[in-house]
Amino acid sequence: MKKFFFSIVFIATAIFFADMGPARDFTSLNEAFRNIRSVKAGFLQKRSLPILTKPLLSEGKLFLSMPDSLRWEYLSPLRSVMLRKGNNIQIYNFSDGVWKPEMAQAVEARRMVLGEISHWFQGRFDESTAFKHFYSPGPPERVTLVPKEGIDKFINRIEIVLSVRPGVIDRVEIEEPGGSRTSIEFKNVEINLSLPSEVFEKP
Amino acid sequence: MIRRKGLDLCLLGFLILSIGCAPKFKTTLRPGSPEDLPGCYAIFPAEPWESVHKIEATFGGSSSSLIGVTKGEPSERKFQSVLLTPEGFVLFDAECRVNGISVRKAVAPFDSPAFARGLIDDVSLLFLPPAAKPTTWLKETNGTMICKWENPDNSQTEITGSMDRSWRILRRDKYGEVTKEVVLSGPFLNGLASRIEYRAFKPAPYSLRMTLIQAFP
Repeated sequence: MKKFFFSIVFIATAIFFADMGPARDFTSLNEAFRNIRSVKAGFLQKRSLPILTKPLLSEGKLFLSMPDSLRWEYLSPLRSVMLRKGNNIQIYNFSDGVWKPEMAQAVEARRMVLGEISHWFQGRFDESTAFKHFYSPGPPERVTLVPKEGIDKFINRIEIVLSVRPGVIDRVEIEEPGGSRTSIEFKNVEINLSLPSEVFEKP
Repeated sequence: MIRRKGLDLCLLGFLILSIGCAPKFKTTLRPGSPEDLPGCYAIFPAEPWESVHKIEATFGGSSSSLIGVTKGEPSERKFQSVLLTPEGFVLFDAECRVNGISVRKAVAPFDSPAFARGLIDDVSLLFLPPAAKPTTWLKETNGTMICKWENPDNSQTEITGSMDRSWRILRRDKYGEVTKEVVLSGPFLNGLASRIEYRAFKPAPYSLRMTLIQAFP
């Protein structure tokens, strides 16, 4: 389940930063995000579950540097950060005024995740064994990911909705069986910044 | 002189060890007055509730941050508990009713029956009073309530405190040893404590620090 979340993050960010003219088809969209070197953005995540009267809101920051560095950080309600640089993955939780490493099992779970998504990250959607993709020119322009057999126990569909701003994503919607869903809205997006390597190494 | 000093140190060491192993203080009570009895239930939700907690769990030298959602119906002694990662993924989802536990989803390492039983027991301790009436209770002159239940499995539950201070829940095994300790601190939102410090001593020690994020109604 987690791997799909991070897959979406990568896909979203990959498309997101495609600083080019409006993509007119999936191939051009796919090509565009290959030109992106780095991304910095904030996000608001809304988690809806049947048990919850109101969605659970989380805020965070995203840093991405090609080809394989990621910092996915939650600022509230929990402070938690996942760092990936190459094959090295670290997860820390902020507690008692210090960053504490997450237990090993949780780190390993993310390692598998990030291996799976590296294909997508580079725009190689056709190589995904988990999802079929469908591009729609819109408006709004969007990419819909439909899980293949086995994965559909966890996810019904994923929708990546692009804004009118060329190549920028408005949000990602993940629908799960049973009425649960996650919405991630991106904001304050900056691309091709120079990001120091320690962003991906230290909490 | 040196021999005496050595003996003193030995006694001191023995004393420290003795204190460390002793059961915590047990208050001997008599049946209280009926008008004080509702005070024994002050920390437990009286109406249907929904709570979201930030959870910092520590066990065996490792720590983990989670989100816990609990929705309950006290009159039917049933509740549903969901554990989520910070990203919002459901790791564990179970419902507890009078007739048993139903696990809807459990992801490793939260997929063992022992974990499910332990979690349900922990949540019950936090949100539901024991099913029977307390055997003894007392309201002290400063307003502090002290209540004690004898449970069917020969364990005991004790609560001590008041709404303007903090509350402590103790669970003792049949030998009187404290197996679980909970400290609930205000302010209380819809009857739910803002902060919960939970420590389990037996069989495996772990601790949970819970901070209330959302509460309904």
